[in-house]
Amino acid sequence: MQENDIWSECETYDREQFRKVQSERLVDTVKRVYEKVPHYKNKFDQHGVSVEDIKSVDDLSKLPFTEKKDFRDNYPFGLFAVPQKQIVRFHASSGTTGKPTVVGYTKNDMTMWSEMIARIVTMAGVTDEDVAQISFGYGLFTGAFGLHQGLEHIGAAVIPMSSGNTEKQIMIMKDFHTTALISTPSYALHMAEIAREMGVDPKKDLFLKWGLFGGEGSTEAMRREINGAWGLLATENYGMSELIGPGVSGECLALKGMHINEDHFIPEIINPDTGEVLPEGAVGELVITTISKEALPIIRYRTSDITSLNYDKCDCGRTTVRMAKISGRSNDMLILGGVNVFPAQIEEVLFNVDGIGPHYQIKVFKQGYLDRIEVDVELIDANYLDSFGKLENLNQTIKHKLRTVLGIDAKVNLMQPRTLQRFEGKAKRVIDMREDK
Amino acid sequence: MGIKQLSIFVANEKGTLADVTRIFREHEIDIRAISVYDTVDYGILRTVVSEPEKAVEALAKEGIVSKLSDILTINPEDKRGSLNDIFTLLGDNDINIDYIYSFLVREDGSQLFVLKVNDKEKAQELLEKNGVEIIREL
Amino acid sequence: MIWNEPKECMSRDERKADQSKKLIDVVKNVYHNVPFYRKKMQETGLEPGDVKNIEDIEKLPFTTKNDLRENYPFGLFAVPKSEIVRVHASSGTTGKSIVVGYSRKDIDMFSEVVARAYCCTGVTKEDIVQIAYGYGLFTGGLGMHYGAEKLGATVIPVSGGNTSKQLDLLQDFGSTVLACTPSYAAYLSEAIDEAKIDKKDLKLRIGIFGAEPWSNEMRSKIEAGLNITAYDIYGLSEIIGPGVSCSCEMQDGLHIAEDHFYPEILNTETLKAENPGTIGELVFTTITKEAMPLLRYRTRDLASLNYDACKCGRTNVRMSKIQGRSDDMLIIRGVNVFPSQVESALLEIEEAKPHYMLVVDRVGTMDTLEIQVEIDDRYFSDEMVELNKVRQKIKRKVESILGISVIINLVEHKTIARSEGKAQRVIDKRKI
Repeated sequence: MQENDIWSECETYDREQFRKVQSERLVDTVKRVYEKVPHYKNKFDQHGVSVEDIKSVDDLSKLPFTEKKDFRDNYPFGLFAVPQKQIVRFHASSGTTGKPTVVGYTKNDMTMWSEMIARIVTMAGVTDEDVAQISFGYGLFTGAFGLHQGLEHIGAAVIPMSSGNTEKQIMIMKDFHTTALISTPSYALHMAEIAREMGVDPKKDLFLKWGLFGGEGSTEAMRREINGAWGLLATENYGMSELIGPGVSGECLALKGMHINEDHFIPEIINPDTGEVLPEGAVGELVITTISKEALPIIRYRTSDITSLNYDKCDCGRTTVRMAKISGRSNDMLILGGVNVFPAQIEEVLFNVDGIGPHYQIKVFKQGYLDRIEVDVELIDANYLDSFGKLENLNQTIKHKLRTVLGIDAKVNLMQPRTLQRFEGKAKRVIDMREDK
Repeated sequence: MGIKQLSIFVANEKGTLADVTRIFREHEIDIRAISVYDTVDYGILRTVVSEPEKAVEALAKEGIVSKLSDILTINPEDKRGSLNDIFTLLGDNDINIDYIYSFLVREDGSQLFVLKVNDKEKAQELLEKNGVEIIREL
Repeated sequence: MIWNEPKECMSRDERKADQSKKLIDVVKNVYHNVPFYRKKMQETGLEPGDVKNIEDIEKLPFTTKNDLRENYPFGLFAVPKSEIVRVHASSGTTGKSIVVGYSRKDIDMFSEVVARAYCCTGVTKEDIVQIAYGYGLFTGGLGMHYGAEKLGATVIPVSGGNTSKQLDLLQDFGSTVLACTPSYAAYLSEAIDEAKIDKKDLKLRIGIFGAEPWSNEMRSKIEAGLNITAYDIYGLSEIIGPGVSCSCEMQDGLHIAEDHFYPEILNTETLKAENPGTIGELVFTTITKEAMPLLRYRTRDLASLNYDACKCGRTNVRMSKIQGRSDDMLIIRGVNVFPSQVESALLEIEEAKPHYMLVVDRVGTMDTLEIQVEIDDRYFSDEMVELNKVRQKIKRKVESILGISVIINLVEHKTIARSEGKAQRVIDKRKI
C-alpha cells in the first residue's frame, strides 16, 4: 500500500475513546430527538423506552428502528429537529413512491459533511495537488455536492463537470490534466470505452491517478477492470442521503473494507428478519445512527444494505471500524447508474397512464458498462392505432413521466395484451439480468 | 359506407405477423391489401380484409388490439400524371394525406390506392366531382 | 439592506482611488505572470509603470474570446495550478470551450458579489432559494449557490429542468426566491397555471433572473405570472460568472461590483470611450482576480452606463439592460451558442455537409433550436432507420458541443440557399 496522510486524529482513536465519544453524542442525540421531533417521541413512548434508559452506546439496541417509510410519512419536514431558518441546504433522494425523501442541513451539518468527505478523499489518496473531476450529476442528489465540498475543503482543484456528455468529459480530462475521477463505477467503465473510441488511450494520454467511486455497489472484478482500463487506483465510498450523503464510509489504500466515520455514525449489523443485533463479523443488514447531525438526526436507520463489520486496526493506521463491500439488499430497491429506483415508483406512474393495462414487467440489464432499464406494458386501447404518431406519443408520455419520477431514462416497450406473465402469488415484476448489482 | 381499413398493433417480436395471418386463415378472412412501415420496436399493420368486423372479433379473442377506420379507396385512371392531378387537387383544397398504399385487384388487374386523409368526406366529394373513381366495395 | 456598505457606497473620488490602486497591481501581476499579456504590452511599448491611475486603462490592450481560445486551457492563468480550486467553462466560438480558473480567494470574491446581488434584490438569510440554473461547468448554478450560502439563506440546489419537480418544491418546500433564466421563469409560470396551482399557496416573492437578455415587458409578464418582483442579474464566466452586476429595488439599472470589475463602454467601430448614457460595447477589466485576471475583456454585449448615485443608497455605477450583441452569438435557454460551433461539429461528421441553417424559435416560452443540415448524397437512404441513425449521430455531436438539446432536420443536398457573400446562417424568429 502507498503512504498517505490521515486527515483527522479522530480516525485513530482507540476503542475506549470511540466508546466515550459515541456514548456522549448518542445520549445527547436521543434527548434532542425526543424533545424536538414528535415522531421520535411517539415512537419511543410506544416502544416503552425513555430518554433516561440511554446511558451509553451499549443501550443503543433498546431504541426503535427508523425506516425509509418514516420519511414518507413525515414528508417533507416532519423529522427535522431544528426550525427551518436554521436549515441552509435541502437535498432529496428517491422515495419508495411519488414524493421524494427530503433531507436538510444546518451550517454545522455542512461543515461536518465537508470534514467527513475530506477524510474519505484523503484516505483514497487525493491531496491539494490533485485536479478532481466530479462526474456525478449536480442537483438534489447528494453525490456531487458532497464530494465537491470535501474536495474544496482539502484544497484540490474541482472541475464540477456533472454527469453526461461523455465525449466532453474525456476532452476535459485530457485538457485539464484531471488526476482524480469521481463517478459511479459503471460510468467510469463506460467513459473508458468511449475514450478509446475517440482514439484516446486512458492510460497514456490521460493523467488519472485516483478513482473515487460510489453511488452504487461494485465488485473486486469491477475494480480490477477499472484499474486496468484507466491505469488508476480505484476506491469505493459509501453513504446515503438519509444519513448525510456520501461520507459515511470509504476505502483507504489498503483496500480492506470501508472505514466508517464512527465518531459521527454508529453502525450495527442486524438480522433483517428479526431485528436482532448480530455479533462482529456476521453478515446482516447495516443499521446506522447519526450522533452529531443537527437538522436531521436519525436513530437506527435501516439501510437495507447487507454487509459485515470488522473492528481490527487497519494496515493504514486507522482504527475506525470497517464495513465490507455491500453484498446485497434486503428490500426491492434497484440501483441504476447510482440512482435508487423502487419498483413501486414505476407502478404508480403506470397506473396513472391511460391506454395501457395494469400488468407490467421491469427488465434491468447492462449495455456495455451502463445500466439500462426497460419497462414492458400492454397496449389495450385500440384508439391509439389511428396513427403511428399517436402510439409514439403514448410511448413518449410514459417515458417522460418515468423520467420525472425516477430521474433516469427508461425504455418503454408497448406489447400486445396478454403477452406479459400473470402471477397468482407475489408478482415477480423485476428481472435483473446484471451480474454486478 | 365504404371500404374499412383494419389497423392492427404489432409489437416487434418474432412471429407477430404470422400470428395475425394465421388467425385470418383460421377464420377464412381474405387479405386484400397489407402495408407496414419499417419500425424499431412496434408498429401498425394496416390491412384491407374481406370481413373486417369478423376479423376484429377474431383478433380480440387472441388478445390482439385492432381498430377499424374509414379510408378512401380510389381507382385512378391508368395514364401518366393522374396521381399528380389527384394530389394537387387535394393539396390545393387543404386536404392532408397521412399515408397511402396501393394494391392490385386480382380479378381485373386494376391498381387501387388507399388514402388516409384528414377530411374524408370533402376529399371524396372533390375527387368524384373531378371524375376519379371511388371504390366502395370490393 | 446593503451587504457591503463601505464597498458599495463609496464616493466617486474614493472609488477612483481604489480602482487606480487595484489597476496598477493587476497590470504588474499580468505583466510578470502571464506571457500573453507581457507580449501584448511589449508590442505597444507599454510598461507596467506607465499605468499610474484608472484613466490609463485606455493604454492597455484588449482581450477577446479568441484570445481565450488560443490560450486554451491554462495559458491565461496568473497563478500556478496548485492554487486553482475550481475550474469552470463556457462555450467558445468553436468546439473547444473557454476555461476559467478560480483561486480560493476568487471563489470568496465570487460568493461575495453574488451575496451583494441577492441583498440588492431584498433577499435575506431567512429566505429559501430555489436554484433552477444548471449546475456543472456553467457558472450560473454554482455561482448563485455559493452566494446564497454566503448570505446564509436556505439553498435548494434543484438544478435546471424537471418542471414537475420544480413545482413540487415550490409548493412543498415553500421556496421564497427563484433563481433561473427569465425564459424558464416564464415557462414555470405557465406550468403553474396548467397544474392549476393556486399562486396564493406559494410563498415565492422574489425572482433573480439572468444569463439571457429579456425585456421589461417580459419582466412584467413574469412578475404577474408568478406573483413576485423580478430582478435582473448579469455576468459572464470570463469575468467571474453571475454577480458582475444586478438590479436593485429601484429597478433602474444594474449595479456593477466595480471594486472588482471596472467597466468601460466603447464605440463598436472606433473602440473609443463613449459618453455616459450612450450605448456601446461593454468592456470589463477584472481588478482583483487572482487566478485569471483579464484586461479590457470585450464582452460583445451592448449597454450604457450611468454614474449617478442610486436612490437605493448605492453609489456604484449602473449599467442598462443588455441591448443586443455586437457579434453573431445567440443565447438559447441561457446557453451561449455560436453558429461557428455548429459548423465545426458538422465538419467532423462524414455524412453531413457543412451547409446548415439555424432556426431559433420560441414555442410558448421555451427557446428551440432547429438545425437544418444537408446530407451527403452518398449517405441518403430510403430506410427511415438509416436516416434516423445519421440524424442521431449529428444530434449527439452537436449537443455535446453546444450543451443544449437541438432538433436536427436532414435536408437534401443543395436545399439550403448558397450565398456568395457572407452566408445567412441564422433565422431568429423569437421576439424578445
